[in-house]
Amino acid sequence: MMSNSVTNNLNGVSVLITGATGAIGQACVAQCLSEGATVFANGRDAERLGELAEKTGTKCIPLCYDVTDEENVKQAFIKIKKMQSQSEIGPFYGLVNNAGIMEEHSLVTTSMDSLQRQLRVNLLAPFQHMQLACRLMARHGRGSIVNIVSQVGEQGSSGLSAYAASKSGLSGATRAIAKEFAEKGIRVNGVAPGLVDTPLTSHYEDQLREEIIHRTAMKRAGGADEVAHAVLHLLSPQASYTTGQILAVDGLFSP
Amino acid sequence: MTNEKKLTQAFVSALSIDEAQVVDSLQYNTIKEWDSTAHMVLIAELEDAFDVMLDTDDIIDMSSVAKAKTILQRYDVEFSD
Repeated sequence: MMSNSVTNNLNGVSVLITGATGAIGQACVAQCLSEGATVFANGRDAERLGELAEKTGTKCIPLCYDVTDEENVKQAFIKIKKMQSQSEIGPFYGLVNNAGIMEEHSLVTTSMDSLQRQLRVNLLAPFQHMQLACRLMARHGRGSIVNIVSQVGEQGSSGLSAYAASKSGLSGATRAIAKEFAEKGIRVNGVAPGLVDTPLTSHYEDQLREEIIHRTAMKRAGGADEVAHAVLHLLSPQASYTTGQILAVDGLFSP
Repeated sequence: MTNEKKLTQAFVSALSIDEAQVVDSLQYNTIKEWDSTAHMVLIAELEDAFDVMLDTDDIIDMSSVAKAKTILQRYDVEFSD
C-alpha cells in the first residue's frame, strides 16, 4: 500500500534560495520551510528580506547580496559553510537558482548591455552558485540543485531572444552538471515555467496575456505555488532517481 | 599538527595514496588517483583543513603539491619549507 504523503522531506538540512523575495521565491521558501529545511533566503533588498524572515520564522536566514557580485556570492557560501555545522541548521543540501530578470526587446533593438545583464543574472550567477554549492554538497555526498529556467528558453518566444539565450544556456548547464555530479550524489534539475502570474509578467498587456493563455492547453496562467511544488519535488529525496531533467510547469504551452 | 602535516593528510585522505607519495613534485593527472574527481575532493579537504575557501582560479592552478603550498600561502597559511 502506498503512503498518501511524505512530510519533512527536508528535515535537518539547509537550502539556499536565490531571489527569495519574488513571488516564486517566496513560495519556494514557504514550501521548503514546511518540509523542515532551514532556508538561506537570498535577495538584494534587505528590508524585504527582513520582512520575509520575520514572517516565516527563525529557520529562514536572510542573505542579502547581489547574485552577480562574485565576491559577495563567495562570502555568502563561506557563511553557509560555517553555519551548516550548527545542528539546528544542518548540512547544506539544496540550491534553488531562482533569481532572474527578463527584458523584452526585438533582436535589432536588444542592446549589448541588456544581453549582458540578462546573461549575468540568468546564467553566470547560477553557474557560480552551482560551482560553490557542489563543492559543499560533495563533502556530504548528496545534494540537489533546481534551476528555474523557462519555456521561453526551451521553445523560444518572439521578442525575448536575449532572455531565451540566457535561460536555455542554464538548461544546458543543468543537463551537463547533472552528468558530471551524478556519481557524487548530487542531482541537478530544472523547472521551466510557462505563463505564471508574477511581477515578471504583470506588465503584460491583456491582449498578449490572452494570446499566451490561448496557446496554453489548460487555458490559464499558473501560480507561483504551482511552480514551487515542482521545485520542492525535484529538490527533495522523493525525486532521488531524477537528474538532468527540465520539468515543464506550463499548463501545456505551445509556442 | 603542523601545516605541512595537515597538507599531507589532506592529500592522503583525498587521493587515497601513501604519505610517502605526497612530495612537492607530485603533479595533478600524473597518477591515476589524482584525477578531476579526486581534485574536487582534495579541494574540499584542504578547505576544511585550513578553514579557507579557494578561488576558482586557484583550484585550476593547483597542479602540484608545491603549487598547493604556494596557493595556500596566499590565504595566510604558512609552511616552514
